[in-house]
Amino acid sequence: MTSGVTNLGAAPLPPGSKLFRARGTSSDIEARPATTTLSLPSRLNPAAPRRYYLYLMAPAIAVLAFISLYPFVWLIVMSLQNVGVGEGEWVGLKNYTRLFSDERFLEGWVLLAQYSAMCLALQLSIGLLLAVIVNGARWEKFLVTALLMPMMMAPAVAGLVWLFLYNGTFGWYHWLFQSLGMLEAGSILSSTDTAMLAIVLVDVWQWTPLITLIALAGLKRVPQDQLEANMVDGASPLRNFFAITLPNLYPVLLIAIMLRFMDNFRFIDAALVLTGGGPADSTKILPIYLFEVAFKFFKLGRGAAIALTLLVVTIILGKLLVRIFEKPKSERV
Amino acid sequence: MASRDVVQYKSPLAVAFKIFSVIFLSIYLIWTLLPIFVMFVSSFKDLLEAFNIPEVGDWAGVMVFFDFSPTLKHYQSLFYDNNFGEYMVNSLIAAGGSAVIAVTFGSMAAYSLSRVEFRGKGDLFFWIISTRMAPVVAVMVPLYAIFRSFDLIGTLPGLILAYTTFNLPFAIWILKGFFDNVPYSIEEAQMVDGATRFQAFMSILPLVAPGIAAFIVLCILFAWNDFLFAAIIGSGGAKTLPVATRELVQPQNIQWGAIMAAGVVTTLPMMLLGLVIRKYLVTGMTMGAVKE
Repeated sequence: MTSGVTNLGAAPLPPGSKLFRARGTSSDIEARPATTTLSLPSRLNPAAPRRYYLYLMAPAIAVLAFISLYPFVWLIVMSLQNVGVGEGEWVGLKNYTRLFSDERFLEGWVLLAQYSAMCLALQLSIGLLLAVIVNGARWEKFLVTALLMPMMMAPAVAGLVWLFLYNGTFGWYHWLFQSLGMLEAGSILSSTDTAMLAIVLVDVWQWTPLITLIALAGLKRVPQDQLEANMVDGASPLRNFFAITLPNLYPVLLIAIMLRFMDNFRFIDAALVLTGGGPADSTKILPIYLFEVAFKFFKLGRGAAIALTLLVVTIILGKLLVRIFEKPKSERV
Repeated sequence: MASRDVVQYKSPLAVAFKIFSVIFLSIYLIWTLLPIFVMFVSSFKDLLEAFNIPEVGDWAGVMVFFDFSPTLKHYQSLFYDNNFGEYMVNSLIAAGGSAVIAVTFGSMAAYSLSRVEFRGKGDLFFWIISTRMAPVVAVMVPLYAIFRSFDLIGTLPGLILAYTTFNLPFAIWILKGFFDNVPYSIEEAQMVDGATRFQAFMSILPLVAPGIAAFIVLCILFAWNDFLFAAIIGSGGAKTLPVATRELVQPQNIQWGAIMAAGVVTTLPMMLLGLVIRKYLVTGMTMGAVKE
């Protein structure tokens, strides 16, 4: 319909004839019946030319193509090559076949799964409990603000602060755990038994508040009338929680779980600063291993193959996440 | 509340939960604020004072922590001997630059994605969001190779582009949600009054302006706090605050006072900004899936 309305049902004028003009006319008024034509400018609000939207989208798409699509193609090309500091040479699928016999690669996945599972379990239980306690508390606003603080910290800086706290000679957490009798001699980060727990604890410290905030937003939407009705029927608060509050929270908690899960894949800043994968590879989760292969030993080809496996898993997870996001609004909390 | 005659009955369970929650909350608050508190206080301590710690099991000795004479020398050494002023400017340019690019291009793209339907829109969307969700290390492998061939390693433009990989998809995704909430009839009304399409777009911008401002801040926060990109892509010429802080950790002699001071310099601005955009924080951190 881009042509607009130019001719309202009347026969087209013969070429050369003048239009009837109502205003701004002086000398050459032509007496003609007004019914013959009604002229409108041809481009008055042309209906949504899709070109226009394309132009608006173009810069973003161009930038994204350069920093996301092009690198992705490159990643696939690199994974088939032996790229070091200089030019690469084609090696076919060798980078991939090597992965299956690479123990640290397989171990990296196991450790990543363990790490994520531990982080999520702790964050979810503590975060949810905290949200229930904070919800409706007298100091709610202040408490939420206090909870926010760790999230604002750069993860690398958080890692450094915890490195200080964990230190075997003057770290306060080292002192605390020893005083509580939970720790033998030897520092937390240099023992293979405790190093993984230590980096989990830092992640829990920094990101439990996010789960709390998400759960808090969900708690505000739990229908109060259902809670009351259930209470009138004689349900205990505990039963109320499991029968009504928790099912209502389920969608937001799912989002929180997915987000945290993907962030455990995304960010390794704190772990890199704290342990760098050590001691004895006990915290070498896959992203850290990838970091080492690609940027410490500069085996970019092998790194690309590892990165691709990591990306594929993330994309599958992302697909699940988007499915949750794109539920119709009525189903969403 | 002066006369409240109704005696509220509280079950023992409720009382127990109340007591438990107070204890739990206190412990949690101490736990969550302690590292930040230690960072702040230690940045004012002399080197030896920071190492003061009680004997194992000596609970009363905790007060040793507060036994120090405050000094500003760590902050002075940061800015006079360690060039932290320059790194701070680098951080600001990299984070601010990527935020501005992300939100400018992002709002235009988000607006049109919100207003037009076309085949493959879902796929385009998924591509955008998965760019955001991709693990930073995995993204960095090809990006490093590409940037190397363009001579972008160790430059601020390179770092800005690198940050745009996560900030632009984030901006598009979030701002689309914002534009979806603005009814099309507002633009229609504007256009009936003779505005062009671009003018109509500009006319609804004020409606989403608070959100856009908040998300500029969030984009800055994400980029400012980044360590991996800055350590690899920015290595050499574009050192940012987190990387500079990390580099204070030397194998031989770790300057804890300076590290803590650098931590404060890196963290404090973001904490303040975080408080300013408090309202949008949950929405932003959950990619718009949860609204407060």
